This record gives sequence, C-alpha cells and structure tokens, in this order.
Amino acid sequence: MTDTRLIRNFSIIAHIDHGKSTLADQFLLKTGAITQRDFRAQLLDGMDLERERGITIRMHPVTIYYTFKNERYELNLIDTPGHVDFTYEVSRSLAACEGAVLLVDATQGVQAQTVANAYLAIENNLTIVPVLNKIDMDIARPDDVKSEMEQALGIRPEEVLGASGKTGQGVEDLIAALIERVPPPEGKVDSPLQALVYNSHFDSYKGVVIYVRVKEGTLRKGQKILLMGGRTEHMVTDIGQFRPTPTPCEKLGPGQVGFFMASVKKLEDVKVGDTVTDALYPSLVPLPGYKVPMPMVFSGLYPSNNNDYENLRDALARLKLNDSSFTFMPENSEGLGFGFRCGFLGMLHREIIQQRLERDSDLDLVQTAPNVTYEILTRKGEVLVIDNPQKVPDAGQIEEFREPFIRINFLIPTSNIGDIMKICTDRRGSYVKTDYLSPTRAQLVFEMPLAEVIYDLYDKLKSVTHGYGTMDYEIVGFKSEDLVKLDILVAARRVDALSTIVHRSTAEVRGRRLIKKMREEIDRHLFEVVLQAAIGSRVVARESISALRKNVTAKCYGGDISRKKKLLSKQAEGKKRMKQVGQVEIPQEAFLAVLETGD
Amino acid sequence: MANDKLFNGLPWIEPRAVYVHIPFCAHRCGYCDFAIAVGRDAEMEQYLEALEAEAARVIVPRPVATWYVGGGTPSLLPAPLLARLGTILNRWFPLIAGGEATLEANPESFDHEKASLLREIGFNRVSIGVQSFSQVALDALDRPHQAEAAAQAVKVARDSGLNVSIDLIFGAPGQDLPAWNRDIELAVALAPDHVSAYGLTYEKGTPLERRRRSGLVLPVCDDTEHAMFGLVMEKLPALGYQHYEISNYSRPGMESRHNGVYWANEAYWGLGMGAARYVGGERSVNTRDLSDYLRLALSGAPTARPGERFEGLEAARETLFLNLRRARGADPVEFERRTGRSLQSMLPGLEKVIDARLLEIVPDGTVRLTPEGRFLADTVAGEVLVKAGRDD
Ligand SMILES: Nc1nc2c(ncn2[C@@H]2O[C@H](COP(=O)(O)OP(=O)(O)O)[C@@H](O)[C@H]2O)c(=O)[nH]1
Ligand code: SF4
Repeated sequence: MTDTRLIRNFSIIAHIDHGKSTLADQFLLKTGAITQRDFRAQLLDGMDLERERGITIRMHPVTIYYTFKNERYELNLIDTPGHVDFTYEVSRSLAACEGAVLLVDATQGVQAQTVANAYLAIENNLTIVPVLNKIDMDIARPDDVKSEMEQALGIRPEEVLGASGKTGQGVEDLIAALIERVPPPEGKVDSPLQALVYNSHFDSYKGVVIYVRVKEGTLRKGQKILLMGGRTEHMVTDIGQFRPTPTPCEKLGPGQVGFFMASVKKLEDVKVGDTVTDALYPSLVPLPGYKVPMPMVFSGLYPSNNNDYENLRDALARLKLNDSSFTFMPENSEGLGFGFRCGFLGMLHREIIQQRLERDSDLDLVQTAPNVTYEILTRKGEVLVIDNPQKVPDAGQIEEFREPFIRINFLIPTSNIGDIMKICTDRRGSYVKTDYLSPTRAQLVFEMPLAEVIYDLYDKLKSVTHGYGTMDYEIVGFKSEDLVKLDILVAARRVDALSTIVHRSTAEVRGRRLIKKMREEIDRHLFEVVLQAAIGSRVVARESISALRKNVTAKCYGGDISRKKKLLSKQAEGKKRMKQVGQVEIPQEAFLAVLETGD
Repeated sequence: MANDKLFNGLPWIEPRAVYVHIPFCAHRCGYCDFAIAVGRDAEMEQYLEALEAEAARVIVPRPVATWYVGGGTPSLLPAPLLARLGTILNRWFPLIAGGEATLEANPESFDHEKASLLREIGFNRVSIGVQSFSQVALDALDRPHQAEAAAQAVKVARDSGLNVSIDLIFGAPGQDLPAWNRDIELAVALAPDHVSAYGLTYEKGTPLERRRRSGLVLPVCDDTEHAMFGLVMEKLPALGYQHYEISNYSRPGMESRHNGVYWANEAYWGLGMGAARYVGGERSVNTRDLSDYLRLALSGAPTARPGERFEGLEAARETLFLNLRRARGADPVEFERRTGRSLQSMLPGLEKVIDARLLEIVPDGTVRLTPEGRFLADTVAGEVLVKAGRDD
C-alpha cells in the first residue's frame, strides 16, 4: 500500500487524434511498464470497435511507478473517452482523479472537445497540466496554439509544456510536472472505507469486475463490504491493479485505484457511482455519486424474422451487461411486429451498439429512424414523456409539445462562419455568440433543437470545414415548439414505425423528400404501391411505385441451372433486413430514409 | 421414341445430351458475363487436348440424342481443331440416328469451309449470334460484327444444309420499338428454323453494367422493354414460329431438343471450362478459369468441385421452375413420374403469383405461365423455388 503523499491520480483529456493514446503509451514506456516492443500497441483502448474509431469508451485504469527525486511514486492514469456522446463517462473518470493532462495538438490547435473536456475538469476541481503535443512536427505552431488556449480557457502560456508522444521528447518533464503540480489524494488509511465505483464490467470467467478509487480507508481481500446504494453485502475475493496487466495485490489504500471481485453475479447489482464501504465498520455517508445519464436518442429495433424476437432480447441483455447507459424496452408496432425501443447516449453510441449486435449475434435486424425524447403537456395537465412517435396522442389532446434543446459550440476556421451560420439557422438554431480565438479560428455558439443535430449535422460540419471544424454540445432543457407527427402511409396503410416528429413549418418539405427517398428504396411489387405522407388526416405528399412489369433474365447458358436457381431464389427471398408490412416489403434503407432527407 | 431402347437408365439419371463449352472469343462483348477467354487463342490446341482427356473419363462411349457446342465462340476454332472436336464427340458421345447437333457460331467467324466441315462431323444445326441487324444496337452491345455479316452467315449455313437458329437481343440501349420490329422482320426474312429472343440483362461486373451505373449508358425505359417483349411474343407466332419456351420460337417440329432436356430437368453431360453437368442425380460445374481447367483436365484431376444433389421438395421445386419455362408448362403426369410428387401438391405457397394471374392451372391439371406471367417469369420462378409446396 502506497503512502498517499506518493500517489498521483490523473487523466489525459484531449480532442480525438491529438495523441492521447500515443502519449499514454509513452508514459508506460518511460516508466518501464511496457517494453519498446509493445509500444504503440495502444494498451488503453481495449475494444476493437472503439480502436477503429479512435475513441476509448471502456475506462481502464493503469498504474505505473516512477522514481522522482529519490522517491518512488505511484501514478494512476485513468482513461477518458473522446466523443460528445460519452461526456458522462468522461466526468465519471475525472471524478476519480486530482489532475488532468490537457493535451492539445500543436498543429491543430484548440478543438471543441478540448474545450468541453477542459471545462469538465475545471468543474471537477482538477489541477490542469496543459501540454502541447506533436511539437516534433515542422508544422507545429506552438505560440499560436498557446494563445488559443489562453483565449478559450484562460490558461497562462508560461504554464504550457511541450511534448511529443512520437519521439518521447518532453515526456519526463511532463511526469515531473504532474508530480509537482497535481496534489496528492487526501484520505486516511484507518478511516471507515469509502471507495467510489467508477466502472464495472462483466467477464464471463471472473464474473463482475468492479473498478474503484479508494477515497478513505482501506479495501482488503477477505473484507466483508457493503454496496451502499444497492444495500447488498459481499465478500472481497480478489483485489488488483492494472500495472498495466491485471496484477493481484492484498489491499488498496486511500488514493489508490484498482479493481476487485466479490462474487457479484449480475452487473445490475453494481451501480456505477455507488460507494463501497466496510459492512462491519461502515462509513455513515456515501460519496457523492453520479447523475445517471439520460439516453437522448431512441430507435426501434426489430428482427426481420419475427421468430428471432427472443434471440434479439438475449443479445440486447448481453450488451446491456457491459453498457449500463444503453436501455431497451419491448415495444410493439402494428407494421413491424414485436421489437424493442432502444435508448442511446447519442448517434455514435447507437452505431456502436448496432455494430456490436451484428458482430456478436447473427441477427438480421431492421431499425427505425432515430428520434429524441419529447415531452407533451396534455390538455388535462399531464406531462407525457415521448420516446417514440407512435405514442404521440391526437393533436386535440395536446396543449404543449416540447423538445430538447442544446447549446452547441463550434470551433471552426473563421472563413466558415457563414456556412455554419446557415446550417444552424436552417435547422432552427438561434445564434448566441461568436468568440475569436485567433485571427483564423472562431468559436461559434448556437442553441438549437437536439432533433436537428442527431442526423447529419456532424457530417455537414466536417464537409464544409474540410475536417477543420469540431463541435460539442450539452442539453439545456425542453422548449415548447410547434411540432407535429408526420405519418407515412404505404399502400393506404399507416406504418407506425415510419412516423416522425417534425416542426410544422418543415413538415411538408420533409414529407415530400421522405417519400421520394423511400420510393427509391422499395422494390417494385406485382401491384402499384402508393406512398403518402400525412399530418393527421391531411395528405401532404404522394408518390407511387409502379407495378413490376417485366422480369425475365437472359438465357440459362450452358445449362448452369444451379447458378440461375441461386440467383432467382435470392431475388425471391428478398433483400436482407426487410420487413413485410401488409403486402409490401420494406427494406431497412426505407426506414432510415428520414436520415438522408436533409439538404 | 424409337430410340428410347438405346437408353436403359432414367432420363434424369442417365444423360442423353452433351454440352461442350468452347470459351474462346475474339473480344468481350459489353454485356457478356459468360465463362470465356479472350486473347488466349494460342491455348486452343491445348484446350482440345484437355477436352479429350475430360471426355475419356466416361470410360465407354455414351450415345446421346443431342450435342450442343456453346461458348464463347465455338466457330472461332480453326478447321483442324473443329475436326478434332468432331473426333472427340464421335468417339465418346456418338450421336444416335436422328439426333440433333448444334454449334454456336458468330457471323464474323463462320464461312463455307467451316459449314461443310460441320456437316461432315455430324452437326446439323447452327445457332448464330446475330443479336441485331441494327448497327446502333450492335455498337451499344459492343458486338464486333457488322450488321450485314449476320445475313451472310445465315445464308452460308442454309447453303450447307444446316438448320439455323438466330439469337436476337432486345432492349439494347438506344434501340426503340420500331428498330426492334425491324430486327424481327429482318430475322424472319432470312427464314431461320428457330429464333431465340432475349431481353438484355445488365449482368453484374460487365462493362455495360458499369457504364450504366456511371450514367454513360441509359437503359431503355420499362414500358418500352415491356412492349418489345410483347411485340416479339405476338409477332413471331403470327409469322409461323411457335412460342414454345419463354425466349424461344420455332417452326413446327424445330424446337431445340437439347434445351428441352434442361427444361424437363433431365440429365446431361458437360465438358469444358465452366461447363455444367447433371449426371446420376448430381449437378456440378467445372472451373471457370482457363488455366485451372487446362491444368486439372490434363493432369487427370477433377475439373469440378464436388457436386450438389437435391432431393424431395427442393428437387420438385427445381423441376417445376424449369418446366414453367416451357409454353406448355408442367404436365401433371410427367411431373409426378419425374419427382414422385403430385403437381397439385406444389401449389400451396404460390397463392401470390396465382392470385396475380401470373400462373394458371388448366382444367387438365397442367400448370403454366399465363401470357402476363411470361413477362414476370423470373418473379414466378423465384416464388416457385422458395415457396412452392410450402414446407417451412
Ligand atoms: N508527429 C507526431 N505524431 C503523433 C504524435 N502523437 C501522436 N501522433 C500521431 O497522431 C495520430 C493520433 O494519435 P493517437 O494517439 O491515436 O490519438 P488519440 O485519438 O488522441 O488517442 C496517430 O497517427 C499518431 O501516430 C506526436 O507527438 N508527433
Ligand atoms: S461472343 Fe458471346 S461469349 Fe463471346 S464475348 Fe460476345 S457475348 Fe460473350
């Protein structure tokens, strides 16, 4: 057990690609935790999917040792994800630290997530150690970037260190600065135990693994503990730290970070943010926990084949084991049958979940267009929470229709200010302010409906700024707006799963674009298929898909009947991810048509 | 048939037909996705050797009622190699008296010398890849021959006493209904015995399909294509050519007997690169790569991957799908003899196409495509293959 005086707990916060993983590897290398050979193996990013996208979601604490001025320090590096969908997880890991390295790419400068994460660190009272990374590069512009940091975050230029994750230059100075500037954790070895659960995961061999940061007292093997929130008692069977591979130890003292197992069977039994205390000498008060994140984006998930419903439920339950921020509830659609309404932190989270489902289970799924949560104040004075357009009551019952608004922060080249202004005003945004960080970079702030952001705003931003713009947002609350439910009728039948909620002023245009797009996606049938968009009983747009008239392919040359047969069978079985609604077969692409109808 | 006593096996077990594939082509036509080899004429001789080695695997001569030599461009073989092909066929697959023997020929590689050689070998029918008499259509299809060459080739064949079949394609980019009407009339004016008329398909991976995707080629519109198919189905019968199979028309008694084997789901031998065979109840297909084929055949190794066998409902679906290509459709007696299942039992599952009047049941129990169903033959075929006789 290490004396708290010799412990430093910190995170690295950075915008994506600014070099967080590379720098983390340098720490491991410089402290002898890994060899040169393992360098760049990106030990901290454990999951393939996240690695492909350069974001870390799972937070692995890593414990390293470094001798400084003749004393051996224990440094705990706690990783944070770098995407707006996962802000909640960032604040979780920051709560387990006393300091943060704020890493800024010296060639890219301050970006939206730099700002967002720096504010989170400040809110958590962390000591910030600002560092310019990639100073080995010719195109680095350290002075400009330092002044951007001063403008945007009030960081004094003389406090900013320089480093290169690639060459290792400046890394030892950075470690020294961390030791000197970041305060050691507080806490006494013999106080009643208080340990913060900041993550947990399910391992099929070991069961539930709980990640903790000990605040007060000592966590020991064999100890009888109490999870204060869940009010369940368990016996600690194993304790360890990641150094960087899981290494068993006997106990964790104040300020230390590590993991333990206590024969907990189900992940649900361990709430992230809960406090672990000694069951026999309990602490009287729990640590301040976390606000549970609210899923903000929802979509329906249905098996193409109705018989797969149970399998889908099992697959979702398995995913949920390791991702408590994701929610799912059975739902029933007239058109699609039985499925689930799933809630996600954001669009990236949704995409990751969907890919994991497909990777881990062999299910053919149809997904409905995503939507945000709405609130409806009824004439009777009730407030309904609407996570599914199907649940919107008749217009006559609605007193107020409210939607979530965000405050969105763009960091962009000044030459793109006009473009972004237009994109935001087209999406019902209202301008808040512009700050100039330098003659070429500006911060632009808008307030706008979340619904306008989830589909394609990010892609739009990337394309108009040629990749040089970044964004970040936070929810500011619900506002009443003139919203309507836009229904889609396929062959005169309303398909509930295709309904969306839109602003009245754009409803007609959206309806037209939507069914035009669907028209391209739905195959011809033996009969004419009419598509209509309607608000209430008023049809606002109509398209038709004419009947299939000719379908005869060329000859069966050389008698290769098997080949021909396969082709025809495939055609008849239809595309994968298809749902039959009445007589009409609707492919996945048509359900997501709404995503692509922006201009 | 009088010749039946020559064969003592069941016709879907013991082949009475042989298909030989000659993959060489001078050029790849824009729409072609057949198993072919371009620019490798130097390997023709070796190819014949490989064919001989493959043929010899039948151990004893196997008499057959039909030969069909397709490609590729079989007529591209120079005379000595054609003669050698004849030797191989006559040795291993002797044609019974009154048999049908067809070779596919392209207008630009067919002349009097080859025509009389074919007669000597035993061929009595050529299928000429005319495709169109309009230069616009030929250019769009990227066919190498000139429009006039086709008529010349038909004449050469006739003069040598060969029966003639003409292949036509409709729906080429840029072709309109009057142009197609003219193609039909010009074809009939040559008095062939048989006409095949196929709608152009944009096969995946062909240059034409790529050009369509990139917008360089505009397919004819649906209505036109529909009208073109309608036109040929109406016009050829009126001019004395029976519409006996979805894409085939013939003078009375001049139907392609070889293709009849396919549509009856009966057995056939197959030789050569990419060739398919259905022998002893097993279907297999040779490798589609020329070098692989040569290496395998010449070394005595198997030229095809292990085959597939279909039984029960799946085999019955297959038979029904093939039978439905014929104008006469599926006959209840023949069907039951072939598959061991009643034709009636195949109808559940087909409600969608029956209700849409694409498929009809004649009072005598015959099941066949309706005139409207012929336009959507592939849709019906797909339903038959996946759902007929519903079991799942
Ligand atoms: N030249 C140079 N490249 C670096 C440096 N640090 C990281 N990189 C490169 O920048 C890219 C992003 O780095 P990575 O560590 O994956 O960023 P992360 O998304 O913040 O984890 C990678 O291609 C790294 O090789 C550095 O100090 N100098
Ligand atoms: S001649 Fe026939 S086989 Fe050869 S490329 Fe043209 S279409 Fe294909």
